[in-house]
Amino acid sequence: MYCGIDLGSRNVKIALMDEEGRLEFFKFDTIAFYREHGRLEEGQLAVDLSALLPAGTKPRAVVSTGYGRQTVALKGARVIPEIKAHVLGAVHLTGLSDFTLLDLGGQDSKVALVRGGRLMDFQTNDKCAASTGRYLENMAAVLNISLDELSRHHQNPVDLSSTCAIFGETELIGKVLEGHPIGSLAAGVNYTIFKRIRPMLMRLFSDTLVFTGGVAQNAALREILAKELGVRVVVPENPQYTGAVGCCVEAKMGSEK
Amino acid sequence: MKSRRVGITTTVPVEVIYAAGCIPVDLNNVFITDPNPGGLVEEAELAGYPRNVCAWIKGLYSTVLRHRDIRTLVAVTQGDCSNTHALMETLELIGVEVIPFAYPFDRDRDLLALQIEKLMDRFGVDWAAVNRARGRLDQIRRKVWEIDRLTWQENLVGGWDNHLFQVNCSDFKGDPDAFEREVDDFLARLKGAEPRREKIRLAYIGVPPIMDDLYDYLEERGARVVYNETQRQFTLPFETGDLVERYRLYSYPYGIFYRLEDITREVERRRVHGVIHYAQSFCFRQIEDLIVRQRLKLPILTLEGDKPNRLDARTRMRLDAFIEMLQ
Repeated sequence: MYCGIDLGSRNVKIALMDEEGRLEFFKFDTIAFYREHGRLEEGQLAVDLSALLPAGTKPRAVVSTGYGRQTVALKGARVIPEIKAHVLGAVHLTGLSDFTLLDLGGQDSKVALVRGGRLMDFQTNDKCAASTGRYLENMAAVLNISLDELSRHHQNPVDLSSTCAIFGETELIGKVLEGHPIGSLAAGVNYTIFKRIRPMLMRLFSDTLVFTGGVAQNAALREILAKELGVRVVVPENPQYTGAVGCCVEAKMGSEK
Repeated sequence: MKSRRVGITTTVPVEVIYAAGCIPVDLNNVFITDPNPGGLVEEAELAGYPRNVCAWIKGLYSTVLRHRDIRTLVAVTQGDCSNTHALMETLELIGVEVIPFAYPFDRDRDLLALQIEKLMDRFGVDWAAVNRARGRLDQIRRKVWEIDRLTWQENLVGGWDNHLFQVNCSDFKGDPDAFEREVDDFLARLKGAEPRREKIRLAYIGVPPIMDDLYDYLEERGARVVYNETQRQFTLPFETGDLVERYRLYSYPYGIFYRLEDITREVERRRVHGVIHYAQSFCFRQIEDLIVRQRLKLPILTLEGDKPNRLDARTRMRLDAFIEMLQ
């Protein structure tokens, strides 16, 4: 049994992988996870995994990644860079080895070029959450619809700029006041995400795009990517656990060395 | 001349300032070594400098405001940054004497010679005095070139020390004799030192970083900067005694294609594995990244720095991934 932990900005994702490669997933709210399960021991975050995971789970190795790795090392876990974790997870979950990886998470967007199963080059968003889950949540709240509803629309988008997440809200309210239908407004929001990440995708282009992270659950965005870029868009099952799965892969490889 | 201490906004022919018996002060170095450089940036914003303007310019503005003994400023109006124009104007507003200096974009020798001679007129010095100053400063520069050589050829020097000694050659810390003693002490300490073991060799190109923990962070992860492009240029690493030619060969104020000739030569010579291209937030040089990426055949990480003076979590994550990628 191997354990991978992705300390994300919104959620902590944990994946367990057994010797046959079968996976189990667990998700916790990040703030609650740190507050309820973490304590600081000698400058490291100690988490009692036994309280979080099914009784009797004894992982042979624990590997972690994510934003948390910058401030706290998880006690007893080996830490790997986030982009590496996502590439390993994407390769494992899709069986592909030549693709462009697009990972849209809670606050980050990452684009990585993968050739022969290895990371060749990558780019990340600048300091703004205008292409991420946080942005979609805010925009859904402005429109007073659920994220699921927001994720259904890509036809007749209203034109919104993609400069800043906060200005985006102001613009969207302006469009609401102009009387556009909810479908066009939602499509406009989904298109701003595409506009924002398009330069990164063009710089690291492949015919196949593996789309991971929580935002990969947005069906409209998957449609937009396929249509606008003319690429095959592959979304693994449970895309938000890709980083955690990558950590499991790393844990397993480390144990087999 | 309003004051003996003369501020400079970037490297200028300091030989002229020293020949006049004045003390050049590289405002960038004063700003970034302040105990609270972030506070200086905020001060400029309170005065009315926009939030989305380079932090260096804001730091320079507040630095001059704080240092009442610097009432004269040599400002580079071409070959560095157009924000300097507004910096000059806002400082003139408070009574600072501003002397403009322009590097010709096309490296034209006649235009550059004219600029240097106009600067000499302002300071009331002749070529004999300027060349005497050059001879003295070159003695120190040669020693700093040696620190650079020991960095990449002998692997005895870390990225931060390489950065620091070279960057200080913009003004020789206002006291060439004292600075030379520092250089001598450092070189003496290297005698018999063990070569460093970092496996990954990096180039750092672009303006010097606004965060001072970059080099240590990289070295903790097994990667060492063995080439600091701009900092090295501040040492004028050219053997010619002709001062005008010196500042023509100096690459920083000229176009990216001329800079790339130097960069390409050095990354090859120093057997570099990857390149960090640093650009300041809101800087025109961010545009040049696309040219760098097309011309350099090495893995490149583009870093953006905004406020002083620590690496943020995002940048650390990106550095980690880059080092991982190079292994």
